[in-house]
Amino acid sequence: MNRSLPNVDEVLPVWVNESVDPERMKTMAALLDDSNPIHFDLMTLKKLGMGDRQVNQGPSNLGYILNMLEEWAGAGSVRQVRVRFSSNVHAGDCLQAGGTVTRVRQEDGRHFIDCNVHLQIDGGDVALAGTATVIWKEH
Amino acid sequence: MSGTASLDQQQDASPQETSRGSHPFTESHLRDLVGREFPGGEFTIEPHRQWLLNDVVLGRPGGFPEPGSLAHPLYVYLSTGAMGITWDELFEWCGAAAEDGPMFGEHETDVISPLLVGSTYTVTGRIVSGVRKAGRRAGVFDIVAYTLDIADAAGERVASTTNSIVFPRRSE
Repeated sequence: MNRSLPNVDEVLPVWVNESVDPERMKTMAALLDDSNPIHFDLMTLKKLGMGDRQVNQGPSNLGYILNMLEEWAGAGSVRQVRVRFSSNVHAGDCLQAGGTVTRVRQEDGRHFIDCNVHLQIDGGDVALAGTATVIWKEH
Repeated sequence: MSGTASLDQQQDASPQETSRGSHPFTESHLRDLVGREFPGGEFTIEPHRQWLLNDVVLGRPGGFPEPGSLAHPLYVYLSTGAMGITWDELFEWCGAAAEDGPMFGEHETDVISPLLVGSTYTVTGRIVSGVRKAGRRAGVFDIVAYTLDIADAAGERVASTTNSIVFPRRSE
């Protein structure tokens, strides 16, 4: 079934992580070989005066934006993402990844969709924001 | 590297040195860093690692991945694991250490062809910029950016990633 091209200003379907799971941070630390204990050791966080909730890895936050884009535009659709990290995400935070279409263009017979994207902490700051481009698959 | 940078009121820093112990890291060192090449390396997207990464970031559930299936696009960033030096070594290049609190600044992913599970990729890269700035609250800090190019088995570039790291500096 074909689907129509999105329009400029169209709002992308929101992707939600109801509660950031600290157990997943342990696995991510291993995958990234990231030894920083603020992702998994509460004693270190307290010692550093950083509260009592683990800090989510930045790449995981980026991953939520990528999930949002792929759920909307399809697997393998992401062509470019540029984001700036501006606030930490902590264990237990509720997150919403979203965006808005800014441009629809055609190159070499293919459609590319440019968007603004962001990751919003529920009741808090924007954790990261920037732009993305996806290739639009007709079906 | 873990925290994220929130450095408002940024401006170019006045000329000065920062130090780590008895080894000052000057703006001259920062300039010399630009263009330095990483040793590089290879990485293979093993099916079990794709499964784990997908689970960690709550990607689309899809069972155990088959070789040749699409990898999560976050794997472009994970190519940092094949840049050929450790994070600690990269921080040392930049006159810093993990305890100085380096932060993730900006990220860019560029994809020509999506990465595939089971495939092996070659990574090459270099430091592309180094800038010293000062913030009203943050004090002096350096922003160092690096780019990694990812090539497939045929030697064709399929993706790139550019990332910047913010290094808080203690003024001398």
